[in-house]
Order: sequence, then structure tokens, then C-alpha cells
Amino acid sequence: MNARTERILDEHAAAAWLEDGMTIALGEPAPMAMIRHIVRRGLRNLTVVAGGLALDLLIAAGCVKKTISYYAGGGTGIPVAPSFRRAAERGEIAVWECEEGILTSGLDAAAKGLPFLPWRGGVGTSLPVLNPDLKLFTDPIAGQTLIAVPAIEPDIAIVHAAAADAYGNVQHCAGPGWIDLFLCRAARRTIVQVEKTISNEAVRSDPWATTLAGADAVVRLPWGAHPFYSRGHYVQDVAFIAAYVEIADAAARSGERDALEDFLARYCRAPHSHAAYLDLLGFERLLALHEY
Amino acid sequence: MAIDDGAGSYSVRELMAVFLARDLVDGDHLQVGVALPVPEAAVRLAHILHGPNMELIFLGIRMNVHTLAHLPLPAYGWDCRVVRWAESYSDRGHRFEQVRDWQRRVFFIGGLQVDAYGNANLIGLGSDPQRLRLRGPGSVGTPTLTTHVGRYYIVLNHHDPRVLVERCDFVSAVGWDRGGADARQRLGLPGGGPKYCVTPFAVMDFDEHTKRMRLRSVHPGVDVERVVAQTGFELIVPSQVPITEPPTAAELEVLRTRVDPGGLLRDA
Repeated sequence: MNARTERILDEHAAAAWLEDGMTIALGEPAPMAMIRHIVRRGLRNLTVVAGGLALDLLIAAGCVKKTISYYAGGGTGIPVAPSFRRAAERGEIAVWECEEGILTSGLDAAAKGLPFLPWRGGVGTSLPVLNPDLKLFTDPIAGQTLIAVPAIEPDIAIVHAAAADAYGNVQHCAGPGWIDLFLCRAARRTIVQVEKTISNEAVRSDPWATTLAGADAVVRLPWGAHPFYSRGHYVQDVAFIAAYVEIADAAARSGERDALEDFLARYCRAPHSHAAYLDLLGFERLLALHEY
Repeated sequence: MAIDDGAGSYSVRELMAVFLARDLVDGDHLQVGVALPVPEAAVRLAHILHGPNMELIFLGIRMNVHTLAHLPLPAYGWDCRVVRWAESYSDRGHRFEQVRDWQRRVFFIGGLQVDAYGNANLIGLGSDPQRLRLRGPGSVGTPTLTTHVGRYYIVLNHHDPRVLVERCDFVSAVGWDRGGADARQRLGLPGGGPKYCVTPFAVMDFDEHTKRMRLRSVHPGVDVERVVAQTGFELIVPSQVPITEPPTAAELEVLRTRVDPGGLLRDA
């Protein structure tokens, strides 16, 4: 064999990379098609580096042992993600308390092969009290009090992007999600789900558009961020998200999980493939989300 | 909650947005997170009215859109269509990579609790961190932003003794810590700290020496006693407390036709 190795994987083959107990990082927008595979496979004891309602769905499905999250809310009208709130209040998940600058410092430390990186944001707050892995220390150069943030090294980062070629050259539309590149630099392996695959010639015609080079797996999953957005392709499915929040919130308040289990079964466990999920949603729903 | 002062009617959230907009200075770099409609409206209004050199930063996108006729509020959190206004995107040097240069950066925060010295809590309520009474969403980027920005504003949806407390159960963003003009210096926090706390009842600032919260103005129709009663700590109350300056007809016109045509700030 004397040919460059292609990195395009079928969704099931990529999902098989994910195992119980791993640390899995999820980009922005959340790579929902791969997340639905996590739920469908019933993975357990995951440490999840993620935020928002994608994290909430994984907690609702019982996949999560520990969260590394800077924000577990759902935006306007959803101050706290419901399943996260319930599980955290009942001690069912461990919360590695952090914030954006601390998280990116830990990810950068991993990428650089360092045991820690210093960060100032969080000095004077409760974060180092609630998270004993964050160590206040006196820096040896200027004598300032800073936080030593230990390296955060996900086993796998999964991000969503507009396009990639067969060799893992990824091009986001209108910029990468803010945390995506941090996650991919820090993780041992990266899976990128894309709206479409493009030719290597197309990548080489505009190499500055490549936001991420060297993705380990490229999975073609158009509409794969649904119900979230994909810049240049579709906007958020506000009604779908509201339906999830209503069901998850009711389950979190009452402990009565039947409707939530039905939701997880219908949208995550029953569809055997991403195409089956899109069939379930139907063209009418999907095309109504077109961005322009 | 509508206010009618005789000259015209406006909502409290419109009043709050106009108050904030007036305090923003041309050249400010205005960063707003998700789910904060009052600051989102305020920065757009200031940009249109008197801020041709302001930069707006939303969702990791940086822009100057002073010349656009309309700067509508997002339809929902993560309305990604705002990228159409971007001059640059995140992870390209304007997020946390240059916090040293954030003197002109302005930020806005809310909180589950805010205390007498402007410290804020997004972590949760309760005494035992393993068994919180209410688990909050987490700190987002507020610890880093409030550490470094030139100034920030605390903007609350409710003026309530359960929100405005003597001491936060947990602190996610340090304001003036335990008080004193050098409180932030002692912690080594370079940013300028919270300037005002704006609520549906009043505007508060911080005493120059103690850095304890002080009543600066009450909104039309709200009396000082009510503000004091609805504050969970002892507020510094000067002998004269002015009324918050109402919006002008011109400000409301721009707000309603170019920023908030859907009336998001009007239905509360």
C-alpha cells in the first residue's frame, strides 16, 4: 500500500470509538448525531466536557458520571438545564466546577504536554474551594496569586463543522465554535461530523479556510447538529428544544420519567442511523430551518 | 410593568436599557453573553446613538455595525445569524488571549445572588456543595471577564431580598470581595470591577471607600422605602436620592424601531 490513508468513517464505526468511562469533549454547536449514538449505545460513566442542553440530554440518558462544564443552562428562559440540576442536587453526578478561562487553560496545558497552566480568572472566587483540583499558588516569577489548572485531556473530542476532505482537513462556516479548537488540540483523538465532504483540491484551493487540520475521523452527517444550529446551513429548531426542555423539566421536578424515556427512545434509541432520525423528523421540519 | 410619567409610557426594561446605553462610551468594547436582553438592547442602542467606534462582541463574534439601519435583538439564545455582522470570529485573538488589553472592555452579568459588595453567584444556593438547594448553571466566563474588564454592570431581573443578600453562598464573580477601595488590588485583580447594579427598582453604585452598595437613583414610581425593604442587606441610602432619568422620546423611537421592533423589552 502506498496511498494516503483516508479518514472518512461511517457513523457506526466512529461511534464504536466511544467507550464506557471515557472523557469525551463536545464542541459548539453540539455534535448531536454522534451524541445520539452515545445514548443509543447506552454508554455509562462518561466524563463529559460540554455545556448546555446536549450535556443535559446525556445526563437524562444516564450516560454521565462527571461534568466538566462552564455553563449548564439553556439560554433565555432556561436558567439551569433541568436534568443537570436534578442530578447535581441529588449528588448523582460529580461537577468539576470551572469556567471558560480555566477550562481552556486546562485544555491548553494538555495540548502543550504540561501538567498545568496558570490562570487568574477565578482568584478570589469559590471555584478553588469547590474544586480541589484547582490549586491556588504563588507564582515564582512575580509572586502573584494564581490558579494552577491541571491538564484536561479528553480521550476523544467530537465537533460539528461545515465541511472536511477525506484527510481530516476541516473547514467551519463562519468560524469554528469558540471552544472547538481547544478541544481538538487537547484530545487524544478527534471525530468531526460534517454537513458535507469536499475534495482535497477544494481544500488546497483555499487553505486559509481550514480551521482544523488532522481530524482523526470525518463522518458525513448532514443536519447532524439538529436541533441546534449549523452556521451557513440551518438555524436552531426552537420548538424541538422547547419540547425537550418541557419534558426534561417535568421529569426533573417530579421524578416521573415516562415521557422523558419516550422522548429518548423515539429520537435517540429507535432510529438505527442518522438517516432514520432525519426520516423521523421529515423534510418539512428540516427545510423550515434553512438559515437563509 | 409599564411606567407612564405623563410624557409617554415605557417599560422598566426599556428604562434600564436606556440608562445603561447612556453610560456606555464611544470606543468601548461591549461584550454580552446569552439571555441578557436588557444589555443586548443597551449596547445596540448606544452603538447607534453615540458609539460609532464601539465594538460589539456576542457569542465570540466581534463587529462594528454602526452603519446598519437596524440592529435587531436575537430571536432566541444562540441565534447564529448574528455571524452575518462579524468582522472576526473567536479563537483568533479577541477572546481570552489578550486580557491584558481589556481596559476598554465592558461586560454585563446577572446572578442567582448578588451581595452587598457586588460579588455574584451563578454556582448555586445552599450550604453543602454536595447537596445544593438550587444548583445554578455554573460560572460561564464571568470569573475571567470580571477579573479583567475595565468595568462591568450587574443587571438583575428581580429586586428581591433573596437575590440581593448580605453574603453570597458561593462566589463566581468577585466584585469588591469583602469591601474596601483596595479589595481588588489585594486579590491581584486588574479590572475595574462593577460600576452599577441595575434592577427593575433602582440603580445602585458602590461607596468610594467601603465599596458597599449604595442607592444611586430610584426608578419613576418606586420609593426609597420599597427599595430598602426589598434589599436583603443594609443598603447605603444618601439623604437625597434622585429619580432615574426617564428615556427621551428620541431614545425610545430608536429603541423601538431599530433595536427592539418585536417589543421584547415591553412584555414582561
